[in-house]
Amino acid sequence: MNYTQKKMLLLVGLLAAVSMLSTLPLFALTAEEVIERLEANQVHETARSEGRMIITDRFGEKVTTFKSWAEGDEKSLIEFTSRQERGQKILRREDEIYLYFPDAAEVIRLQGAALRDSVLGSDMSYEDMTGGKGLLESYNAEMLGKETVDGEECYKIELHAKGRGVPYPKEIMWVDTEMFVNRKVHMFSLSDKLLKEMRMEDYTTQKGKTFPVRFIIEDKMKSNSSTEFVIESIEIGIDIPSSLFSLEELTW
Amino acid sequence: MKLGKIAWRNIRRNTRRSILSMSAVGIAAMTFVFMFSMIEGMKQDVAYNLHTFVTGEVRIQHGEFEKYKHLNPLHLGIERYTELTERLDSMEEVDMISPRIKFPTAIYKEGSTYNAQGQGVDFEREAEYQALEQYIVKGDMPRNGENEVLVADGLAKEMNLNLGDNFTLLTQTRGRGMNAITFKITGLTHYDFDGLNSSFFQAPLDRVQYFLRMDESVSEILIKLNSNYSAETFASRLDTTLTEWNRPELIARMWKDISQTYSFVVMADAIYFIIALMFFLLGSTVIINTMMMTIYERRKEIGTISAMGMTGPEVVRLFFLEAFYIAAIGSCAGVLIGIGITYPTTIYGLNFGAAMEGVDMEISQSLKPVLNLKSTVFVFLYSTFIASIASFIPSRKSAKVKPVEALRAI
Repeated sequence: MNYTQKKMLLLVGLLAAVSMLSTLPLFALTAEEVIERLEANQVHETARSEGRMIITDRFGEKVTTFKSWAEGDEKSLIEFTSRQERGQKILRREDEIYLYFPDAAEVIRLQGAALRDSVLGSDMSYEDMTGGKGLLESYNAEMLGKETVDGEECYKIELHAKGRGVPYPKEIMWVDTEMFVNRKVHMFSLSDKLLKEMRMEDYTTQKGKTFPVRFIIEDKMKSNSSTEFVIESIEIGIDIPSSLFSLEELTW
Repeated sequence: MKLGKIAWRNIRRNTRRSILSMSAVGIAAMTFVFMFSMIEGMKQDVAYNLHTFVTGEVRIQHGEFEKYKHLNPLHLGIERYTELTERLDSMEEVDMISPRIKFPTAIYKEGSTYNAQGQGVDFEREAEYQALEQYIVKGDMPRNGENEVLVADGLAKEMNLNLGDNFTLLTQTRGRGMNAITFKITGLTHYDFDGLNSSFFQAPLDRVQYFLRMDESVSEILIKLNSNYSAETFASRLDTTLTEWNRPELIARMWKDISQTYSFVVMADAIYFIIALMFFLLGSTVIINTMMMTIYERRKEIGTISAMGMTGPEVVRLFFLEAFYIAAIGSCAGVLIGIGITYPTTIYGLNFGAAMEGVDMEISQSLKPVLNLKSTVFVFLYSTFIASIASFIPSRKSAKVKPVEALRAI
């Protein structure tokens, strides 16, 4: 083989190697990176929304409407607007939950086992509303690979609680690889029993963020029970006075 | 031959032995006079508590309520209940009516949660139905239309609350939502059973209907009947009548079909029969032993009287009568002493407070035995019968004594 032929062979070999390498991702995302991108989408500086909660159980269906305000992922206020619950409010400040009822002379602060009670008979508990530290602060994340959920490719990530201050010791979430939103979440007990399933059905995009506006929670400990949340309108990044999340405001 | 006279004379030949035999049966009889009186008192107590606080003599409820009772299905209620109470008031069998809403609740006080059982009642009716005044130890009855409650003193003590204090409770509404309301304590009650004392409070029916979003419905209607009427018959008739009144979703049941507590007491009553049988048989062993000893000792006498013409069956009858007299006298004495011991307790009662603490049954802590025909006459007849029958076996042995062999010993 002469010099020119050798040069040609080397060039072909290099080209083949480059084309092979280009089919591989330059950097595969870690579980932590996926979660960071997920949280960037679903945690808003401020948000105001209106929606309804459709609770289905063995006795039939019940619809409750609400308005809500949120600041970050540590403060939120929900006010119920349907006839039966009109004027009732739930204030969340970090891990504290306060309930206001128009007929009660005092605000009820939920603690301990009371946090595991369901919100208005739904499949969501008050404890589900707590938290606020980022997932990575509370959980160790492990990438389990990819799976398809509702026809969309998702990262499957398993979370194990680092300590005790979380509602679920273990969670598995399926995060859309394109939109970085949850498509499905499973919550487990310490004994690895599936306690709840959350499925996201619809999404919206605002100010560069994509987040779910319709999702269903099923409490697997109850038979024939599910709760559908529908966010009918939502605005993010708006002005909300911090005083809205005070106990004084709660009783107005 | 007058066997009765002979038997009566014979038992006085060895008075001490006869008294010993009598006392064995007598002690058993005395014990069971008290025990059966106690059970009867318990039955009456449970019946009163169930009629007054739990089931009435007859209870009307939605047909599906009991099936989902553990889920507190307030939506399975009695709609337009006043229409029903008006009709019931006009029925001759009905003495008193109590429309009620029962609801489990959580009371939040200074960071602690207390589980309680609430009841919405019409205090105008309830004053008579429960004879409420006898249970109020402090304060007054709440007024209908006001956010006032009567709280059992055990619950108030646990929450560290007193007259005039407020508390807020949270519970599930009829629409399966949640609601909370604040009540003021206007009265404290003390009931005689722990199931009520530790967790019970009563609020005006209209306020409970309001905060549970019940509209014009209640969860049950309790009925007490006039004394001549049978609960079973009335419940059966009312069940049919409800359908005629265009209320097919409602059912009427008598109290014995609802509560398990009364069934347990009735079962205990039946078990006591068996225990009494054992005790009387035990007491009878003394008589049996006495009879066997007597027959052995009086072999010569048996031989003599047989030789003089008394037949085998007559000998058996003679010894049987001796045993019968001992049993009858022992039982009679036992019953009379039992009545003497039991009678003061029927007036002053017996306090089982410590033993009944935490017992979640509708049995009062203080019980009054009730003397009746069963605990007196029946115990006498039962113990006499068992002791006599048990003595029959050794009596029959006396007929097997051969006169020739018996006389040979002379």
